[in-house]
Amino acid sequence: MKRTSEESQSRLPDNSALKQQQLPAYRLQLTATGVLSGFFATGVFCLGVGIILILSAKSIKEIEIKYTKICGNCAKLREDATNFDKECTCSIPFYLSETMQGNVYMYYKLYGFYQNLYRYILSRSNSQLMGTDLKIVNKEKDVGTCAPFSRSHDGTPIAPCGAIANSIFNDTIILSYNLNSSIPIEVPMLRSGITWWTDKYVKFQNPRSKNLSIAFAGTTKPPSWAKPVYELDQEDPENNGFLNDDFIVWMRAAAFPTFKKLYRRLNRIQYFTEGLPAGNYSFNITYNFPVTRFRGEKSVVLSTLTWSGGSNLFLGLAYTVTGAVTWLAFFSMMAIHLMLKDRKNTVQTCI
Amino acid sequence: MGWQQSLQESDASKVRTIYLNEPLRNSFCKNSISTAKYSIWSFLPRYLYLQFSKAANAFFLFITILQQIPDVSPTGKYTTLLPLVIILMVSGIKEIVEDYKRHMADKLVNTKTVIVLRENTWKTIMWKEVNVGDIVKASNGQFLPADMVLISSSEPQVTCYVATSNLDGETNLKIRQALSETSEMQTEKQLSSLSGKIECEGPNRHFNTFVGTLYLNDKSPVPIGPDQVLLRGTQLKNTQWILGIVVYTGFETKFMQNSIKLPLKRSNVEKVTNVQILVLFLLLLAMSLVSCVGAILWNEWYGEGIWYIRMKEYISYSLGFDLLVFIILYHNLIPISLLVTLEIVKYIQAMFINWDEDMHYRRNDVYAMARTSNLNEELGQVKYLFSDKTGTLTCNIMTFKKCTIAGIIYGNQSEKSDTDIRKLSLSPSVITESCEFNDPRLLYNFENGHPTKDYIKEFLTLLCVCHTVVPERDGNNIIYQASSPDEAALVKGMKNLGFVFTARTPTSVTIEVMGENFTFEILNILEFSSNRKRMSVIVRTPTGNLRLYCKGADTVIYERLSEDSRFMKETLTHLEYFAKEGLRTLCVAYADLSEEEYQQWLTQYRKASTVIQNRMQSLEECYEYIEKKFLLLGATAIEDRLQARVPETITTLLKANIRIWVLTGDKQETAINIAYSCKLISAHMFRIQLNLNSLEATQQAITWHCEALGTQLSKENDLALIIDGETLKYALHSEIKRSFLNLALSCRAVLCCRLSPLQKAEIVDLVKKHVGAITLAIGDGANDVGMIQMAHVGVGISGNEGMLATNNSDYAIAQFSYLEKLLLVHGAWNHFRVTKCILYCFYKNVVLYVIELWFAFVNGFSGQIVFEHWCISLYNVLFTSLPPFSLGIFEQCCSQKSLLAYPQLYKISQAGNTFNTKVFWFQCLNALIHSFILFWMPMKMLEHDMVLQGGYTTDYLFLGNFIYTYVVVTVCLKAGLETQSWNKFSHIAIWGSIIIWLVFFAIYSFVWPTIPIAPEMAGQVKMVLVCPYFWLGFFIVPIVCLTLNLIWKSIRNTCKRTLLEEVREMESSRAQKFHPTIFRKRVEAKKVQMIFATPPHEVVLQSESFDQSIPRGYAFSQVEQAVITQEELIRSYNTTKSKQDKVTMDSSHSRQK
Repeated sequence: MKRTSEESQSRLPDNSALKQQQLPAYRLQLTATGVLSGFFATGVFCLGVGIILILSAKSIKEIEIKYTKICGNCAKLREDATNFDKECTCSIPFYLSETMQGNVYMYYKLYGFYQNLYRYILSRSNSQLMGTDLKIVNKEKDVGTCAPFSRSHDGTPIAPCGAIANSIFNDTIILSYNLNSSIPIEVPMLRSGITWWTDKYVKFQNPRSKNLSIAFAGTTKPPSWAKPVYELDQEDPENNGFLNDDFIVWMRAAAFPTFKKLYRRLNRIQYFTEGLPAGNYSFNITYNFPVTRFRGEKSVVLSTLTWSGGSNLFLGLAYTVTGAVTWLAFFSMMAIHLMLKDRKNTVQTCI
Repeated sequence: MGWQQSLQESDASKVRTIYLNEPLRNSFCKNSISTAKYSIWSFLPRYLYLQFSKAANAFFLFITILQQIPDVSPTGKYTTLLPLVIILMVSGIKEIVEDYKRHMADKLVNTKTVIVLRENTWKTIMWKEVNVGDIVKASNGQFLPADMVLISSSEPQVTCYVATSNLDGETNLKIRQALSETSEMQTEKQLSSLSGKIECEGPNRHFNTFVGTLYLNDKSPVPIGPDQVLLRGTQLKNTQWILGIVVYTGFETKFMQNSIKLPLKRSNVEKVTNVQILVLFLLLLAMSLVSCVGAILWNEWYGEGIWYIRMKEYISYSLGFDLLVFIILYHNLIPISLLVTLEIVKYIQAMFINWDEDMHYRRNDVYAMARTSNLNEELGQVKYLFSDKTGTLTCNIMTFKKCTIAGIIYGNQSEKSDTDIRKLSLSPSVITESCEFNDPRLLYNFENGHPTKDYIKEFLTLLCVCHTVVPERDGNNIIYQASSPDEAALVKGMKNLGFVFTARTPTSVTIEVMGENFTFEILNILEFSSNRKRMSVIVRTPTGNLRLYCKGADTVIYERLSEDSRFMKETLTHLEYFAKEGLRTLCVAYADLSEEEYQQWLTQYRKASTVIQNRMQSLEECYEYIEKKFLLLGATAIEDRLQARVPETITTLLKANIRIWVLTGDKQETAINIAYSCKLISAHMFRIQLNLNSLEATQQAITWHCEALGTQLSKENDLALIIDGETLKYALHSEIKRSFLNLALSCRAVLCCRLSPLQKAEIVDLVKKHVGAITLAIGDGANDVGMIQMAHVGVGISGNEGMLATNNSDYAIAQFSYLEKLLLVHGAWNHFRVTKCILYCFYKNVVLYVIELWFAFVNGFSGQIVFEHWCISLYNVLFTSLPPFSLGIFEQCCSQKSLLAYPQLYKISQAGNTFNTKVFWFQCLNALIHSFILFWMPMKMLEHDMVLQGGYTTDYLFLGNFIYTYVVVTVCLKAGLETQSWNKFSHIAIWGSIIIWLVFFAIYSFVWPTIPIAPEMAGQVKMVLVCPYFWLGFFIVPIVCLTLNLIWKSIRNTCKRTLLEEVREMESSRAQKFHPTIFRKRVEAKKVQMIFATPPHEVVLQSESFDQSIPRGYAFSQVEQAVITQEELIRSYNTTKSKQDKVTMDSSHSRQK
């Protein structure tokens, strides 16, 4: 008898709340007060954040100059690919009415350039850029990914290979400050510190060698490039090869057909410790990059930044509008609720 | 109708020959059975075949193959393979666990032991070792291991009793009798010297047929029929031992032949889901086509100008190739994890059913069992409930409860407390130890010289004498063996009143009254038949008088009462009263016979009993002659005990808008009785009885009734339709099927009696096909198997010895009343859970993957994805896999208490309004809007590119990670919004998923170049997480998405409040210590009023057609036309002698014969 009782006990499952589906649970109930107060609070929060964002975006100074049309003759020259060796420069004067306080960043901006095409993004060799597989010989597959710019006509591997590298933005933009009406001073700009840390120190590595030109021997430059990869920056030997900052910045494929890329940042010395003072400036552009062929445009942008980034009103507006809409919903729902409450009571009294 | 088609008629033609005592010449199938799906070797191929025959899995396999083509796949080569493998593995583990259980169950059966004659001695071996031709010895209470031919038994006339409830659901014991040629084969020596052969038909599934011939050496061949055959799965009863020769083993037994093919049932929800998957596939094709067209237009526009990619070289790809690229790009729109998620969710739901303590029948320690998990949500949609009666509504225990003697009613005290009822077991035995009759007044009146004393004595004596019960002494205890449970109950009741039936000899019956023995000489037994509705015995009383005792239906007895009979009116009133209580009544009367009268009749009787043709009929005519001039004594009332809480359950289920039809093989009277006692039919209800015997008459009656109902046809009326199997045969004729159905659907209760198992299934099929509502069939016996398999959901009553119904059911419960919880709580919950889970799975996939389409608009339809490959493929198996589980497993629309308290809530899931094409499209639209917001807002945020400190610019994956994070957050919070009941697992699932993604994101960004995957991801986390815009968007984007839903939901709740909302509100206010009772009453009153706002239509009809007379509750069950007559059987017993004597005596007796 005892045995059977033991047996039956062991066959009993432990009657935990879990097995009996009696776990303590909070019942999510959309009560009028809960929803209304939630909406009200969300509205307050969103409006607050929205206003702050709009104010901070407004404080940003930004100037953008499209130079495709201004440098029309250069643009025309570049439409024909055979003129690649002809230099074309173009100077654009402009007036800065207000001082740009703090750090100033210079961007180039492209319109209608699809860096996000599937085959474009695919066309690179990450292992080559690591400096490990320079001649992209190891993996047949990798050559494939670099297509159609993996090898030159004579079969030499291209370094850096791929469509992204080949199409690097190669205009030179120099900003000059006209301090005293006539003598332009070149605004000191830093060409380093414009890349992501990971890119500079992890993703991009030069082949191990003291002399870059030897390291890159046996490879050829991409077809659209004027100079080989180890001669990108004549001033700073460290800024050459795959570790060239402009090259690294370009290699991050932008999400949209219209995009900015960081070009230079202001070196805050001499006159420019406070930022860019108001006054006359000019951009001196060496126009190399053809955009008219694909109906694109180029521009150069100078901007300061705040805690939240550049002058983008969207997020501020989004917050404000959301706040406003939730408040609107709050009031209208309150009205409906009050109206129906009366009606409900009458229903109940009838019963 | 698969189970009918698989009748293997052809097999019957194959003759098998079994050689006695020559085991080497008998090679047939083994007796071990296996119900498992896989063996170790067949697992992999069979499993893979089954999986890939599912359309969705085949689709993903196809995508995986496509991805292997170089340059086609924008999403990498193995990104679909991995989740597919994970999913197949998870599902495979589940299959293995389930199959392992089956293997274990088989093993349990196969290793039961039985005694078999091997090498001239009795040996105990396991069931699986039993072979055809073996001689098996089984003792009382044992289950038989294989189909065998009875050789001999311990009982007189070499009979034995078997309980066949396992097979056919009938509760009276069956009598089997061995051939006289073999009846003496009892010792090892005799048996092992047995030589010869048995020829018989091949294995088939018909329980009641068997054709064979026994060829014993040096004897003439003897035919063997079904009366000699004992089947596997039956249980030996009231018989000390039997010997049998095994003829069919293992899968060839009739029992197994009947349980081979289980139809695969798919739930309604599953069917709708499959259609929706197809719709999504079309959507996928549409999206791919749009993208293709977009790509062509884009190329036209830009064409040659895109110098940086040399477009020319790629344009050569054909349109078909592009289409493949886009199909691969968008293929995740079809939720890869949906099927496996559902499988696991349903498996766990089934486990909840198995664990439920409220459905635990403690007496037998039986839990509810979900034998399939496919139909969990179907339980929430049941509209028609088809119930068997015996063993399902009733416990199949008869108790003598009340009686009326000489116009005085006894046993009429208030009902006993429920605890007593609960104590009673669902004992398989017909005879129980309990007797509910408890009225001291009866004995008091008897002992203290009440004017009706003599009547009481006569009444009790009659019940002690007039029956076919055989008493068996077991020490001091007397056990009554009866094939009629009613008689057993009466004799038992008499014993408790001091009138003990102690012994039966072939010619007499002895009863003990107050310590005194009286012996009645039994002269004749006038057998019971359902035609006669009565049985009588002619006895010579101890005082030497001739007397005829009769018990039977009120109608037949009253016809035969003499003019001197008294108490007719009182008794009739009492009968009506009993009937209202749902008790089965028998009238009891006697007649004194004179010697001449008897002798005269006896000559007639002898003549009649030798008639060759129509003997039964002429006997009955002869009985009629003497059964007259009765004097009424009173009536008995037997309770066919209902299972606990059956009336309450039926009331609740009716409130939940479930229509209940009772389909029984039992007699009409019995069925009506039960319908009354379980409150399915109330006394004031009109009854339509259809008992007709021709097609024309049936057609006429049905048309007439339909016309009489007029506009009320097909609406619910306060009517009960009662139809018997014979009439139903005509009613299901194709011409009048439709109008019969209409008539049946306009009745609140439908009772079908005397149905064959096939007819039960036919009725279910009729409703299933023509009404289009979900049907549920519940039953306990093999006769219910047909309807259990036919109905959308089949429920078996388990815990009885009978397993056939359970084995063919989808759900097995121990008590009918558990149906309440199974349907109202589990069914409703599971329906909500599964539908929410499915809709959510569709939602989350559409949200993420349609973003690819939006992105295609800004990337020139080039096929570029905005996310990282592996992030995409792990979306369904990792980052958003938990919320569907928490929704599918733990979601509760409202508490169990409320669901039971307000059965009306069941209508929500029953109507299925929470899951249909409209809801699906609404959800898809919602997902489209969300995905658009989720793409558009981050796009606008990042359009400016200057979002990072230090002026760094970003890339496409930066945008991708923004969007992906927001998608994960939004989708998880959406699950939170759908979750109405948050427990700890919901929290883990929702917050956990978000955290899992963030952690994964962090780790994944550092993988390159240590592990050569995901170079694009390198360094992303450092930039994304420090970006203020990311965090600002982290709040605003999900808020914008979900606020829309929230506003919509709130407005709908405020304007159109559902019962569910009201109940939920009540629950939460109760939690806040609101005064519960007042509030509850108010809501209840209000809702109940609303529900019954349209009262059932009053039917104004001519009274002749609609029977509203008060029923009198006659019912009686007894075996008819068995292998030997009742009289012969009874006369073969002599219980005054001990068993051993009896055997020898009986064998000599049979020899004389």
